[in-house]
Amino acid sequence: MSLRKQTPSDFLKQIIGRPVVVKLNSGVDYRGVLACLDGYMNIALEQTEEYVNGQLKNKYGDAFIRGNNGNSSSSSYCSP
Amino acid sequence: LIVSFFQQQTTNTVEEPLDLIRLSLDERIYVKMRNDRELRGRLHAYDQHLNMILGDVEETVTTIEIDEETYEEIYKSTKRNIPMLFVRGDGVVLVAPPLRVG
Repeated sequence: MSLRKQTPSDFLKQIIGRPVVVKLNSGVDYRGVLACLDGYMNIALEQTEEYVNGQLKNKYGDAFIRGNNGNSSSSSYCSP
Repeated sequence: LIVSFFQQQTTNTVEEPLDLIRLSLDERIYVKMRNDRELRGRLHAYDQHLNMILGDVEETVTTIEIDEETYEEIYKSTKRNIPMLFVRGDGVVLVAPPLRVG
């Protein structure tokens, strides 16, 4: 995946649809499929699972995560 | 004879996450807030800051107490009901449809 001369919107189009892990400042993990993402890093996930130490809650459908919770999102699987 | 075709509009363009919150307007939602608070209520209004007006709300505040002898974690939650609530967006962490028992 080339990162040269990519506009942010190109990057966003590439990662949409992938399984991701979103880590919040509070230490909570959200794992799900990235449905969409905007310039404020607001995130919509599908089939989200919330992990605090162990698995706590299951969220089905869309979960919206507010952008400035100081979180990071990373792609957790390498698609073959 | 008039035949009309009712076509459901589907969009292939990437919508903003906020567009997906719009779909929850007038529906019951679950909101996770900072400071271990959760809200369940009906979404009447929201804006780009995630300020929200929620109706018929149940707020749950969860605390964890540690027993000094056994060191076990005791989860306590306090609930209260609020007919109409303004939520300031900067406290919002997550918004989702109401949780099912998981």
